[in-house]
Amino acid sequence: MIWRILAQIFLFVMCAVLQTTVASWIEILGVRPDFFVIFIVFIALGRGAAVGALWGFIAGFSQDVYAPAEWLGAGTIAFTVLGFLVGLLEERFITLNLGLKIVVLAIGFFVSDFIYYLLIEVPSDSLTRIFLTISLPECIYTVLFATLVFYLFSRKNTKKNHVKG
Amino acid sequence: MKRIFRAVISVLSWKQGIFFFILLLTLGIVMRSMPLAVQEGIVAGALRTVYFPAQWLVSSVDNYIGLYKENDQLRLENARLRVENDLRRESLAELERLYELVRFDNKWDYPIVTARVVGKNPGRFVTTMVVDRGSNHGVRAEMPVFTVDGLIGKTARVAPFYSQVQLLTDPNLKMSMIATRTRVVGFLESSNGSDLFAMIPTYAEVRVGDTLSSSGLGGVFPKGLGVGVISSVQKGDVDVMQQIKIDPFVNFARIEELFIMLKEPDWNVREMLE
Repeated sequence: MIWRILAQIFLFVMCAVLQTTVASWIEILGVRPDFFVIFIVFIALGRGAAVGALWGFIAGFSQDVYAPAEWLGAGTIAFTVLGFLVGLLEERFITLNLGLKIVVLAIGFFVSDFIYYLLIEVPSDSLTRIFLTISLPECIYTVLFATLVFYLFSRKNTKKNHVKG
Repeated sequence: MKRIFRAVISVLSWKQGIFFFILLLTLGIVMRSMPLAVQEGIVAGALRTVYFPAQWLVSSVDNYIGLYKENDQLRLENARLRVENDLRRESLAELERLYELVRFDNKWDYPIVTARVVGKNPGRFVTTMVVDRGSNHGVRAEMPVFTVDGLIGKTARVAPFYSQVQLLTDPNLKMSMIATRTRVVGFLESSNGSDLFAMIPTYAEVRVGDTLSSSGLGGVFPKGLGVGVISSVQKGDVDVMQQIKIDPFVNFARIEELFIMLKEPDWNVREMLE
């Protein structure tokens, strides 16, 4: 159990490193993948709603401390909700194939973004434009990375199951 | 101890985790609804105790990769310079001239510190960034920050070896600016963390393509630092002001190195800060 928690902490630190350094190296036309969203969805699907919500809270708070102070709590709430909702589809109870996981991630991405924009009170006239110019391209880029991550981990799990069988 | 640990684990692995979720959500809502001073205290505390030290670790990795690349480049350059010894001297002289050229830009006569970006706001909007210069390098809060292309913001929180730069896209940063052609003064703001807008009196004649720079009013930014170009003009909700969208000279997402002007804020700003 302790190893599992340590592994999650390690994954989170890796995501933070990727998000603050690598993400800016691989950005295309100002669009960066969101490694935090991938991490939260990945953990929530594997470990359930409570753990998903906890890591969502931590990741959201980490995002909030670098944002304007009066936005504090917006990212925290958005990612906590994301972690919890995705965690309800925990893999112990429901089997999701790669395509469905990606759909869950994309929907989760938009839901958390929507909550975030509502909480930071983005003016309603620029909400659609921000969704189209920021959220949509970032969602597509994030989905591309997530596909790779989920594919690699599903292959690893399949191999493990074969060995067990 | 073991029992407490097991209790925590059982809460975390509980089927629905609804109570845990509500607890976290409540914490988030409490943070969201706190007064700004308390929120700033939480952010400053978290940055000082956890995130700046963590940033140091991250930037060490970044530095290591950077040094590795730099080492490769230096080896190549060294080989080239051995062959072209005469050219090397010429290049050095040229480098000195370029260095002087860079220094000439400091027409405001304040010392300048170069800094490297070691962290950016990981959220949707790039509103702040962390640089590797702090109070040990003479940096204080409320100092102008710019690149060769133009103004990008000011220092907000300063630690001994790191500073947080508040960018012009931060909705909390409002500054006075001047249209360079018509000399009319207005103020610059970003209401959504992404786009830059200027509010200028309706009677003032401005048009698309006009450039804007800092006005020198307000006590933080010196006069004449370029900000951007007007991309569209429209009347605001109130008739006395027109809302002007600005294309900044600087691409905030692509800043790697920047300059901090060691200019203490004017007495009126200092008084407010104290």
